[in-house]
Amino acid sequence: MESIARRLERRWNTLKTDLTWIGRDLRGQKRPPVVARRGPSRYPVATAPRPALRPRPLRVEAVVRETPDAVTLHLAEGDGTPLAFEAGQFLTFHVELDGQTLKRAYSLSSSPLDGPGATITVKRVEGGRVSNHLNDHAAPGDRLLALGPSGSFVAGAATELVMLAGGSGITPIASIAETLLRTRDDVRVHLLYGNRAEADVIFRDRLEALARSHANSSLALALEAPPAGWSGLTGRLDEAVLGPWLDRLEHDRLEPSVDRAYYVCGPEAMMDGARALLSARGVPPEAIFEERFRSPADAPASAELPAEAVTVRVRAAGRDTIVPVAPGQTLLEAGLAAGVPMPFSCAMGGCAACKCKLAEGEVVMDEPNCLTDRERADGWILACSSRPRGPVRLEVV
Amino acid sequence: MISERVVQLLPSRVRSQVEGYADALSTLLEVRDPRVLSSIGPSALRGTVLKRGKQGVPTTMPASHRAYFDWTYPHDFPEMKELYDRAKRGQWDGDALPWHTSVDPFDPNVPLVPEDFFAYDVLEEEIGVRFTPKEKAELQHAMVSWMLSQFLHGEQGALFAAAQVTEAVQFFDGKLYGATQVMDEGRHVEVFHRYLDTKMEKLYSINDNLFVIIDALMLDSRWDMKFLGMQIMVEGVALGAFGTLYRETKEPLLRELLKNVIQDESRHVHYGVLALREHVLNELDERERREREDWSFEVALLMRNRFLAYEIYEEHFEGLITRKQWRRAVAAARGMERFRHVMFSRMVPNLREIGLLSDRIRPHYTRVGLDRYFGGLAADQLSGDQMLAELDQAA
Repeated sequence: MESIARRLERRWNTLKTDLTWIGRDLRGQKRPPVVARRGPSRYPVATAPRPALRPRPLRVEAVVRETPDAVTLHLAEGDGTPLAFEAGQFLTFHVELDGQTLKRAYSLSSSPLDGPGATITVKRVEGGRVSNHLNDHAAPGDRLLALGPSGSFVAGAATELVMLAGGSGITPIASIAETLLRTRDDVRVHLLYGNRAEADVIFRDRLEALARSHANSSLALALEAPPAGWSGLTGRLDEAVLGPWLDRLEHDRLEPSVDRAYYVCGPEAMMDGARALLSARGVPPEAIFEERFRSPADAPASAELPAEAVTVRVRAAGRDTIVPVAPGQTLLEAGLAAGVPMPFSCAMGGCAACKCKLAEGEVVMDEPNCLTDRERADGWILACSSRPRGPVRLEVV
Repeated sequence: MISERVVQLLPSRVRSQVEGYADALSTLLEVRDPRVLSSIGPSALRGTVLKRGKQGVPTTMPASHRAYFDWTYPHDFPEMKELYDRAKRGQWDGDALPWHTSVDPFDPNVPLVPEDFFAYDVLEEEIGVRFTPKEKAELQHAMVSWMLSQFLHGEQGALFAAAQVTEAVQFFDGKLYGATQVMDEGRHVEVFHRYLDTKMEKLYSINDNLFVIIDALMLDSRWDMKFLGMQIMVEGVALGAFGTLYRETKEPLLRELLKNVIQDESRHVHYGVLALREHVLNELDERERREREDWSFEVALLMRNRFLAYEIYEEHFEGLITRKQWRRAVAAARGMERFRHVMFSRMVPNLREIGLLSDRIRPHYTRVGLDRYFGGLAADQLSGDQMLAELDQAA
């Protein structure tokens, strides 16, 4: 009986819509035959392929001081095309200092929604040559050489993001959080951001404005050395601060079934602590996303390398190619020069896009890099950071 | 027919609507075969009078067909098996197109389509104004958005039809192939939608006559009618339009997109020819064959005469000129003429190949000037690469 009633109801509704339509038509109140569309957020960000290992120039459009120790550079592609990236990704900069090319990775700190340009935010590292150079000398009109964007520290399918940032680790986190909140109503974002002192807090206005205007987000600031009257959390981002904050989230959690992911970026010690704590609380490893900032060795390890060219057999896309590797060349440089389709992105050991299997032979890899212990044990190497010690067989998977 | 004099007496808003109805009616009256008319009639009512495609709410259509299972999994059609293998190898990822290309629809150095996609001289004469270069660029942008919107709507129809036909077809090799076509159509929906959303930034509602055809095909329970309508007629129009646009656009992303789509489409039409040739020859009696022959002819004419960007008319010109004047102006555009040429040079040889171009119907095609396409190559003799090479040559 009910199904007949429902069928009748459906017919009645269709009839009503049809009649309304004819009536509107005759009164001249038609629906417009065309609607404006603008839905870039539905699609993955389109990144231009950068086939060459050679970095391209970016133009510094503006320089904004964020804190006494951090500066934001507004960048644009040198050729006028949009600087396309996915929130959370980084660029690899090749900075020439004292006749030496230093490679450094900096996360893009703006949201890709605010293109065509993008920003990086650089915090001084004690003794850091590039970070201090950029803080002291970067000026509008400068040209910086860069590769990328690279990296897979980006928003996935999770609908609840718990984000932990320390110091300059806020840069990719702010980009992801802002982009998600501005484009999706179905996500929740909780951010805990730790610093030493109040003056060190980067993007404070931006983060607070974001939290204010999005009910589906929350922001907590923690300081190790808070000023008098500080209303936020106090202490380093260790168990004493993180634990209660996570407890609170758990307590406030509305739907236990939502897909939750943890995004962590900050100083090494904080990240290790956070990982241990999250694991102890039963968070599965695949729900934890980390971005570790590492600078590669400024000069390659050369001691154990042969002085003459060696031949390497590379299997890619089902075909074997014999590739000569000149002394000092990386496997990636040699492979690309020989026309082998080898994937890569940051070319400095930071993103694992060039990860391939070492089937035979030995290589020397620049350290540190982003391979996990597990990956090393399974025979993976990074082509961008590896030089052969003798004949080698390689498989690009 | 409502006389033009009576129409002139109506208030202008009502007048343009009555004109619309009169136009729809005259479209139906152009169909000479009463059986074709009775099969299209209800769809025409839903499409052109009730405007189901334009109501802004989802449309439901009761699709009925017979699913055909075979639990013995025979290798029953080697040519279809070969198409299946080719389709598997020919899969591509819509994300891999150069979406980073920045598209400026108003850049005169990279025109989306040549100026002659509109007969500006005819339009200017009818309206009595001259178009500025900016207005022309806007109209070109509208025309490309309109065409791509109709492709998108057509691809949605093709997606559902491909799925239904995959269920209904009696060849097992055809079912496997059909699965790849469903994937292809899904991808086409994805890329056209993405292009409209992110590059053109506008979407036109479905053209009434396209709605009528899709509606008729969905409701027809005979699989070979769905097939004939979608694989031969709608895909024929699509290939005509894709081909013309591929040849003439200077926009690199659109060109790349169409190149990929055309290669898929050439497989789809090829499959249509294989399945229908067999079916028409062995399964249909002469009466049924004639019915399909008449249906194809009438639908081909409908597409030629009525697929005329009325949505752009409603957006820009309603109230300024009549539908009749608009029709004249669109039909006179040289770009549209080239589109019709590519469309029929694909469609007519395919109809011949599947046995729907007998001596009985040929005089009708000759009467409307389509006899010059009788001798062309059909889809089973023409690969996607050849099709593209031909288009590149003509560019």
